[in-house]
Amino acid sequence: MITKRWLRCRVMSGLVGLAICIVPARMLAGQGAPASKEQADDAAAFKEFSARVQEYVKLQKTVESSLPALKPTDLPEMIAAHQQALARKIREARPHAKPGDIFTPAACEAFRHASRAALQGPQAADSRAYMDRDAPTPTMPLAVNGIYPDTEPITAPSPALLAAFPPLPVEVAYRIVGRTLIVVDVESRLIVDIARRVLPPA
Amino acid sequence: MRRGVVLSIILSAVATLFLSARGPADFAFPLQANSVRLAVIGDMGTAEQPQIDVARQMVKARAGFPFEFVITLGDNIYTGSLPSDFEKAFAVPYKPLLDAGVLFYATLGNHDKTNERFYKPFNMNGANYYAYKKGHVRFFALDSNYMDPKQTAWIETQLREAGNGGWKICYFHHPLYSSARFHGPDADLRKVLEPLFVKYGVDVVLSGHDHVYERVRPQQGIYYFIEGASGSLRVGNLAPSAITAKGFDTDRTFMMIEIAGDDMYFQTTSRTGVAVDSGVIHRTIRPVVAGAVHPPASYGAGVLF
Repeated sequence: MITKRWLRCRVMSGLVGLAICIVPARMLAGQGAPASKEQADDAAAFKEFSARVQEYVKLQKTVESSLPALKPTDLPEMIAAHQQALARKIREARPHAKPGDIFTPAACEAFRHASRAALQGPQAADSRAYMDRDAPTPTMPLAVNGIYPDTEPITAPSPALLAAFPPLPVEVAYRIVGRTLIVVDVESRLIVDIARRVLPPA
Repeated sequence: MRRGVVLSIILSAVATLFLSARGPADFAFPLQANSVRLAVIGDMGTAEQPQIDVARQMVKARAGFPFEFVITLGDNIYTGSLPSDFEKAFAVPYKPLLDAGVLFYATLGNHDKTNERFYKPFNMNGANYYAYKKGHVRFFALDSNYMDPKQTAWIETQLREAGNGGWKICYFHHPLYSSARFHGPDADLRKVLEPLFVKYGVDVVLSGHDHVYERVRPQQGIYYFIEGASGSLRVGNLAPSAITAKGFDTDRTFMMIEIAGDDMYFQTTSRTGVAVDSGVIHRTIRPVVAGAVHPPASYGAGVLF
C-alpha cells in the first residue's frame, strides 16, 4: 500500500539523486569549482593580469592628475595637446616598459585558451567577420610605449571575445591587430602591452 | 520550418504596408508643430569635395526643412587627430549649420580616435556612448567599436527605463543588417543587440560603416537604415538582397527625418539634391517584457575567478 511516508521518501530520494547528477555537471560546465588545472591556472593568470592593469591605471591617473584636466572643448588643439602630454609623461613614468609586463606568459596562455574557446563552433565565423573587415594592417609596427598609428582603423575583440576576456577599466581598451591582442591607453593612445599570436589562425 | 518562412513573409509584408507607397516626387514633410526634425550623416569625414557637396546640400535642404540637429553614424574624421583634421573634416564643411545653431550628436566609427568624444561640437560630453531625449523621441548613441558586457548592461538599463512612452531610436557605426559587399552585416553584434532591441521595443536603428545607402525591410518589427555614404562611397557595392527595401550606391547621400506623433517621415537625398528614397513609418507600440536579456556585466565564457 502506498503511504504518505513512502511517497515522501520516494520524492526525497529522487531529488537527492537529481542533485547528485546536476551538481557535478554544472561544475564541469564551469559554473562551480574549476573543472581542470588549466581553468584554475587561467583564472589565476587573468587575476594577475587584472591586477597589473589596475597598477597601470593607477600610474596613468597619477600622471594625468599633474596635467590640466581634459574637459569637452571646442578646441581640438587642447585635445591633441592633452593626448601628447599624457603620452610623454606616461613614457617617462615607465621608461623600461616592455612586452609581457602586463600580459605575463601565463596571461597570454589564458587569453589564447579563451580566444580558442570563443572562436570555435558555428558562431566563430561571425566573430571573425567582426574583426577581419576593415581591420588594421596586420604587419603594422607595434611597440610598447608607441602610439597607435593615426592612419590605422581600430578593431576591438568581437562582442563574444570581449565577454570572454577580463573586463578593463575605462582608461584602457583591448585592440586586435591580426592575431595580436594589445591593450591601449584610451586617452594617450599609447600601446600599454602586446600579446602576440593570441587569436587562433583563421 | 515552412510555416516559419510563410509567417516571416507575411509579417514582412504587413510591416512593409506601414511604409507609404508615395514616391520621392510627391513626398513632403508635414512640418508639424512640436515634431522632432533631424538629419543623419555617416562615414562623412573625408575632408574631400563630395563631403563638402553633401554639407552644402544639407544647408540648402534646411531652408525648406529646418532640422534642429544632426546625428552622425561614425567615421566622423578619417584623416587623423590633428587640430587641422577636425577643421577640414568637420568644422569647415558644416560651418553654416554650426553657425545656425544646429547641434551634432556623434558616435564613433572604426576610423575615429576615441578622444573625439571630448570635442564639444560632437556633444558626447566625454562619453563613448550616451542617451538623450528630444520631444517624445529617445536617442541612444552606442559605441559599436567596443560592445563589452558593461555597455550592453548599460543599454539594457536605458531601454528598460525608457518604457513605452515614445520613440526609441538607436544609432551606431556597424550595421546589424546590410546587403553591401564590402562589410556586410555584423552578425556577432546583432546577437548581442537585437534581442535587446526587440524586447524593449526599439523602433528604428541607424548605422553606417558600409559606404552606401540602404533601407532594410523591417526585421522583427524594427526598421534598419544604413547611411554610410555622406562622404565616402563604394560605387556599386550594394548587392540588393531579400532584406533590401531600397538601396542607393551611385552617389553620396544624407537623410532627413521628421517624427510627428507616431509617424516618422524620412527622405534620403543625394549630393546633387535628388530624393532617392522617402516614406513614412508608423510606430506600433510593443510591450516591454519584464526580465533581463543579458546577465549583469561580468566575466564570461566559463572563465573562473
